[in-house]
Amino acid sequence: MSTTVNSVATEAAGTYMLVRVAGEVDLSWSQQVRRAVLDALASGQPVAVDLSAVGYIDSSGIAALVEGLQGARARRQPFVLVAVSAPVRAVLELARLDSVFALAASADAAFAAS
Amino acid sequence: MNMPRASLPPPARGSGSLAFLAELSQALALSLDLDTTLQQTVDRVLDFMQAEAASLFLIDENGGATMIECRICAGPIDVRGLRLAPGQGVVGRAVAENRIQIVADAASDPRVWRDVDRAAGFVTRSLVCAPLATAAGPIGALEIINRRDGQPFRGEDGELLGVIAAPAALAINNARMARRLVEQQRLRREFELARRLQRSLLPRRRRGGFPVIAVNRPAHEVSGDFYDHFELADGRIGFVAGDVSGKGMDAALLMVRAASLLRWIGKEGLAPAAWLARANEELCVGARHGRFVCALVGWCEPATMQVAFAAAGFPPVLVEQDGAVREYRAGGPPLGILAEAGFEETCVALGQGTLFAFSDGVTDVRGEDGTPLGLAGVRGLLARGRGKAPAARLRGVLAALRRHGLVDDTTLLAVAAPGAPAGNVLLERWIAADAAQLRSLRGALRDALGAIGMAEPERERLVLAVDEACANIIRHGYGGEAREGIGLRLRRDGARLVIELTDQAPCADPARLKPRPLGECRTGGFGLALIDAVVDAWRLENGPGGRGNRLVLEKHIAGATPAGQEDR
Repeated sequence: MSTTVNSVATEAAGTYMLVRVAGEVDLSWSQQVRRAVLDALASGQPVAVDLSAVGYIDSSGIAALVEGLQGARARRQPFVLVAVSAPVRAVLELARLDSVFALAASADAAFAAS
Repeated sequence: MNMPRASLPPPARGSGSLAFLAELSQALALSLDLDTTLQQTVDRVLDFMQAEAASLFLIDENGGATMIECRICAGPIDVRGLRLAPGQGVVGRAVAENRIQIVADAASDPRVWRDVDRAAGFVTRSLVCAPLATAAGPIGALEIINRRDGQPFRGEDGELLGVIAAPAALAINNARMARRLVEQQRLRREFELARRLQRSLLPRRRRGGFPVIAVNRPAHEVSGDFYDHFELADGRIGFVAGDVSGKGMDAALLMVRAASLLRWIGKEGLAPAAWLARANEELCVGARHGRFVCALVGWCEPATMQVAFAAAGFPPVLVEQDGAVREYRAGGPPLGILAEAGFEETCVALGQGTLFAFSDGVTDVRGEDGTPLGLAGVRGLLARGRGKAPAARLRGVLAALRRHGLVDDTTLLAVAAPGAPAGNVLLERWIAADAAQLRSLRGALRDALGAIGMAEPERERLVLAVDEACANIIRHGYGGEAREGIGLRLRRDGARLVIELTDQAPCADPARLKPRPLGECRTGGFGLALIDAVVDAWRLENGPGGRGNRLVLEKHIAGATPAGQEDR
């Protein structure tokens, strides 16, 4: 299993905001992920959440992403999950939310297409 | 720092003041033998200041009262050992006020304490005294008496002496701190050695069908408590729990003696009462006044679970059988007081029951209302863990006691027939109800499931289900307040995995736990839905008295290694 240190960082990537999440997203720090996602949305730009380095995610982490998605929809702001790791994809499928989110291989690919 | 504000020594007296000061400061700073250097300093101050006599006084706080003692003298009078109270005489005043005192005419100045002259056969005409100032206040004073030219001392003499006193104060202070540091390090090393010696005396935990389990937490570096267990050639298993009166190093040393004594006498296979009597006789020889040992010793026959024990000044033993708890107070006085003391013995057919013994560090812990827990409080703590394995129960009690705050060394010991075969339980963990604990719990669970050959997608789903259940207990059960912990037990029952999660939170209503449909875009409440989607069956059982829940998750395992082969 991944032993990555938990971290969340946001960068302005030109025309959109990129939130990179790494580690195991669980109850102990999912609030930080939620905060980062909501702060990125507050910029008004399209938001991509990179989940390639997430080895585990629980329902509180999924809830943070759902809250981001709902906020983005309300403001008609593009919101994409990119490079979703296998463990995250498995939980999204289990929660039957894999078709609810926009998923893309990379942020550039997602926003170039739109 | 509270230092006299003379930026430069006045040039009037002692020409070459700066050179003198620089030399003096360096000599003090580099000094390896402070007493010699200070004597040289006072001698040179005497010449430099052109005075008839000089003395250095230091505050001595030994023995409670603060006194100012003369440590070094130069000139015709030697008053070393003279002790003054703060405020007494010119020296006492310099220290008490942390200010330079200048006495131009000693004969008419009320500050001067004349007994010194009388005793020394010396006439003080004029004097200056400067405090040895440090950041934490003055640590003494430097005094010069009578100008050799017969003139009275003036303001600039005071300022100059103040400037000289500063590096002296600094050097003395540094030397003291260094000495204190060395002493502390020495003590710490000694305590560490004693602690390691003590830990080495405690037996290692025995796994797999061993009926005695004990835990011990010292309240300080070293412990006065101990426990022991060992096997005899005839198959009986001996157990000991002890508590030495007092704390600190001499209690620790007596603990070492008592623990070895009880072990070696115990290995002779004597009956518990005779065992204690022999140890008592030995401990009474050369016993120190006011030091004694409380102890519980006993035997367990593993084949029949017959238990015999005797106590010496030890808290009552609790025996839990079929849900009922009985107290056994039988015993005698603590060891090491009366050489001819007698001890009572108790025999119990323990069967499937559990015997609990604990040192008084357990009953003395104060509960939420500030009163000691007492026996009733300990019984309450033990009752919460009912149904768990004895080791988990002892850990649970210890964790609860630590939250209340341990004040004394604490030892808990349990004797019970080994439960279900160990191969059946794949993982047993107790965690604090804190989200930060979840990551390591998931790791342990992954390892345990991996060990029985469960493949990754299925294994990760089960890990998620358990993690969600724990998160719910932390968030909703305990409401974020980690008062008690969560117990996890992963069991294998044929092709079924059973995961039991126990907590001490207020009872949750099983009827209200309804998993909501998945696939809905919601920001909460789908933890239970995930659990429901992963496991084959789950149920929630409530504990007695409105507290405690047991969540049982069941999962069929098709592809796993057949039961009983995981250890081969």
